[in-house]
This record gives sequence, C-alpha cells and structure tokens, in this order.
Amino acid sequence: MPATHSWTTPDAGPHGALPTIEARALSKSFSTGAQRVDVLREVSVSVLPGELTLVAGPSGCGKSTLLALLSGLQAPDGGSVVACGEDLSTLSRRERERFRLKTSAFVFQNFNLFPALTSLEQVQLALSCMGIDRAESARRAQEALEEVGMGHRLRMRPAELSGGEKQRVAIARALAKQPRLLFADEPTSALDAASGQVVIDLLHRIARAHGSTVLCVSHDPRLLRHADRVIEMEDGSLLADRRLTPPPSPAASACAHPSAVSTAVSAAVSAALPVTPATPAISNP
Amino acid sequence: MIALARKTLVYEWRRFLPVVVSIGFSGVLLLVQAALVLGIFGSASLYVTASSGDLWVGYPGTQSVNFGRAVSPDLPMRLRMDPAVTAVEPYLWVDADWAAERSAGNVSVYVSGISTQRDAMMFSRLLPAALRERLREPGAVIVDPADLDTLAVETGGRAWINAHPVRVVGTLAGLRGLGGVNILTSLDTAAAIGGRGVDDGATYYLARTADAAAAQAAHDRLRRPDSRFGPYEVWTAQAFAERTQRYWLVDTGAGVAVLFMSIIVCAVGALITGQSLGAAIASSAREYATLNAMGLSRGTMVRVVLEQAAWLGGVGVVLAALAGTALLVVAHAHQVPVAMTPLVGLACVGVVAVLVLLSSVSAVRRQLDIEPAMLLR
Repeated sequence: MPATHSWTTPDAGPHGALPTIEARALSKSFSTGAQRVDVLREVSVSVLPGELTLVAGPSGCGKSTLLALLSGLQAPDGGSVVACGEDLSTLSRRERERFRLKTSAFVFQNFNLFPALTSLEQVQLALSCMGIDRAESARRAQEALEEVGMGHRLRMRPAELSGGEKQRVAIARALAKQPRLLFADEPTSALDAASGQVVIDLLHRIARAHGSTVLCVSHDPRLLRHADRVIEMEDGSLLADRRLTPPPSPAASACAHPSAVSTAVSAAVSAALPVTPATPAISNP
Repeated sequence: MIALARKTLVYEWRRFLPVVVSIGFSGVLLLVQAALVLGIFGSASLYVTASSGDLWVGYPGTQSVNFGRAVSPDLPMRLRMDPAVTAVEPYLWVDADWAAERSAGNVSVYVSGISTQRDAMMFSRLLPAALRERLREPGAVIVDPADLDTLAVETGGRAWINAHPVRVVGTLAGLRGLGGVNILTSLDTAAAIGGRGVDDGATYYLARTADAAAAQAAHDRLRRPDSRFGPYEVWTAQAFAERTQRYWLVDTGAGVAVLFMSIIVCAVGALITGQSLGAAIASSAREYATLNAMGLSRGTMVRVVLEQAAWLGGVGVVLAALAGTALLVVAHAHQVPVAMTPLVGLACVGVVAVLVLLSSVSAVRRQLDIEPAMLLR
C-alpha cells in the first residue's frame, strides 16, 4: 500500500487548531412560483479538519443545502462562509469553481461516475482538470484506486462494478485530488451493509490519516456511530452539535502511523468486502 | 484531458444514435430537396445546358427558352461578322400537338428543330452523333423513353404532330422538360410542323467561339443593337440558362411553391436536429453538473458539449451523404429529374453543420444555468 500523508497545512489540525470551514448566519431560501421557502435560517457552524463531521436530520431539514453552501456549490442569500481562508460568499461563480477544483472533492449518493470511462480514467479525469500531466495523473489515479481496494478493477467501467465498488471509485476520484475539504452527500445510502462499512472506514481514514476536513450529510445510523462529531438539524436550524470522540492530536491526525493506518484500512477493506460475483460486462455490438 | 466527449459518444452510441439519425435525416431532406430543385428547374434550361453553343441570340426580353419568337434570318450574317464567332447554327422551337395512332386525345409537345450535322451545337452534350443522323429522315423524331407512355407510341411507331406525320426513330434519356414533352427533330421537319417557310428566321441562333473569354468579348460587341438585323438580344449560354431557371423558379407559381417547400424543409430539418440534439445534451445534464462540481469551468463544459455536437454532426453528415447519394442514384435510375453539383452538395453540408452548431449552442446555454447542487440528492 502506498504511504499516506497529510495534505493539510501543519497548523490546520483539530484540537484547538483553526477550523477550515466557518459559516456565520447562513441563510438560503428558494422560490417556487409565488411561494418562498426558507431552507436555512441563520445557521452558524465551524468544521474542523482531521475528523469526520456528520450533518444529520430529517428529510427537508436543509442539510444538503448547508452542504452546498459550505462547499461553494451554491452562494448563500445571507451570511458568510469562509473555507480555507476564502470567503465563499463573496466569490463569483467562476471563482467558486476554481476554489472547488483546487481545494474540494465530492462523494455523491448516486456516485455520478461517467459511464464511458474506466475506473482509472474516472480518477484521471479529475486530476487532468487540475492540469496534471497524463503520466503523473495515471500514477496518482492508480495509487488512489489501490488505496481504496480497487486496484484490480482499473479497466472496468461503472456498468461492470457493484454499488460499493462504484462508490469506492468515486472516493478514489476524490482522494487522488488530495483535497483539503471532502464533502459527502449520503455516501452509504445506496449501499449494502458491507459496502457501506468500507466507505465509512475510507472516509474516516481520509479525515484521520490525511488530515482532510470531511463533512458528510447522512441519516445512515452506521455513519452516526462512526462520526467524530454530529450536527443535528431541523427546519433549517441547528438543533444539536455533539462530539462523539475526542478530537485526535494534530500529530496523530497528520501522518500518524500511516502504514499502520493503511494496513488497518486495507485489511478492513478486504474483510468488509463480500464475495460477490463480478457484474457481467455489458457487451457493445 | 481525458477525451470524455468522444469516449461517451462511442460507449453510449445507442443513446446518441437517434441524434445521428435525426441529423442524417435533416441532411437527406436538404440534399434531396436541393437535387429536386436543381433537377426540375435545371430541366427548364436543358436546351441550353445540353448544347455547346457559347452565345444565344433570340428575341429581346425572352424570359425563358420556351418563350422564344422568330428573329431575322439575316442574323447569322451579323454573327459571322464578329471575328470571335467560329460557327453559327439555327434552332427552331415549335409548340405543337401530338396525336398518336392508338390514342383519342392530343398531347401538347415542344418540338425542337435542330441541325443534323455531326458537329452541331444543339444537344451536343446529350445526343449521340449516330442518333442525330437518324433525324435526317423526313418526319423522324426522337423522344425521351419516359414519355413513350404519355405519347402512346413505341420506338419505330408513327404519330402526327400538328397533323404532320412523324416516326419515332429513337429514344434519348434526359430529354424530359419542365412543363411539357420534348421532341427532337430536324430543322426541316420542325419548319414543316410549324408551318414556316425557308426564308423565315429561326427562333434562336447559336454561335460558337474559340473559348469562354472570346465568348464574353463577342457578347459585349454583339449586344450593341444593329437595326439592320431586326430586334434581337444576345446572351452567353450561362446567362441564358440562369435567366430561364430564374424565371421558372421565381416568376411562376410552381417555382414559388417549390421555394416555399424548401424553406419548410429547412425549418423541419432545423427543428428535428435542434430537438434531438437538445434532448441528448439535456440527458447528460448530471454529467455536466458533475464536471462543474469537480471545478471545471463552464467554458470547459461548453467545449465538451460542442465537441460532442461536432462529432454527432460529422457522423450525421456522412450518413446523410451516403443515404442521399443512394436515393439520388435510385431517383436518377427512375428518370426522376434530380441534379447535384459539388457546390450545392457542400452548401447542404454547410447548412446542416450550421444547424447543428446553432442547436448545440442553444442547448448548451440551457446547461450553463445548471446548478451543480442538483447532484445533492
């Protein structure tokens, strides 16, 4: 397994370190015809690096909208979002695109892989968007896929992969960018128990071993148990904010025992993988 | 960057096949429509384009070949006086009635009286010399094989034109004209059918020059009016052919109807292309949103979309060219009046390309407003 390393700046670890995302009085509303719906009502939250932060709540509580605002996918109607030192609320659409390219990665519930690309190409695409040359992007893509246990599926397309494998490719796509911020929207909802556990372990590792800020939106109870911090929402406001595990030390979160972590996660990946028959390849006439 | 556009088109070819077929269909519509217009209205000037005369001299203001009137029999002398003119030839046009042995009714025909010399200019590009020589027989006529049923006659059969006995000595494909049946015969037979005397002038005189430059120079000299030779007007062959086609295309109801139909065909093609291309692009909305979420600029997304549209348009155009060519070959084999030139073919390709470009630009504009947040469940 390739050695892991922290991608964050040395002083950006948890436990007293500066938060990577700070939102103040965020508001967002949507208009449907003549009706206006307030989805977020002056939400303030800080997210720390090196831990898995979960935003939970019933359907329609505004958690996905909060994720969209904190990640720069959308601009707020009111309030401010500062992420990695950038005030996202003042950035233009193009500037937010550049911010996402440089700093962020996403994992979606529906994977959102490109049907025509192999696993290797899915990850390479993300890297080539950043201007990384073909040879380097191929190397990093393979490394990322091996890290998530997909090294044996490099040439396969999404139609030939199971749900869990697709999500792992999506995570590899995120991982290869070495993002400071990783946003996951219901990453385990479409997966079975074993695959979901693998994904949870991977997200946790990205937070702990690589020092990234991992923010998840989910109502999956499995994620609730594994999160370091849970932010509960209801009706567009924060209901509760509780820490489930003590934040790891900055040293532990950065490069602590990378090989041990890698081995542990690799073992977890292998152990969690069910023996499932390969998805039959769809043959093109 | 990974060739996402091309790989997507190849891998998901089934999804994009309707778009390619739509673009191809639009192209075929345009090609066939253009070929029909060229063929139908090109046949109006068949008498000029199938002949090798460089200059045509006829009655002033003649709008179309079939509206010719007799001009002075001294005009050949006027033409031969010009140093650029190397040969002069008369052409007689007669509107007549055809009556067959086994038919109760008459058919309106256009009789073309032409020279039977081997090096004659009239219909030299269409009529083989051996067939032309058969017209030396008094009363001999040549018709288009597609008109045999209309004329109720077969090769070798007899009929009457304006009560003058004639015999069909041969057939010649490509004689079908716009507005009536064309009959070829000798100058003497045509004069007899038309009731003209030896001293009466022809409907037109054709002149041959050394080359195109000489023809233009001769035209410029000869167009200066000379009242000693009666009223006449001189045209280059190309100008007279265009004049004839323009009359039928623009100044007749049939022409205006065909032009209107051509516009409708273009509009239908544009609509079909736009709708199918728009639908294909819209079906990839999540992919474009994912690219944007990953941080790709909208400009890059536009490039991906336009590249896909260019590939689809290219394959569609190739399909249109192949299918259109096949259709035109079949049409030509069944004597449907179709014609195509490289320039018109390229113009059709260009129109389809523009339609694809406009449709894709219109479709991509809708995609630019996509919020990547739509990917969040």
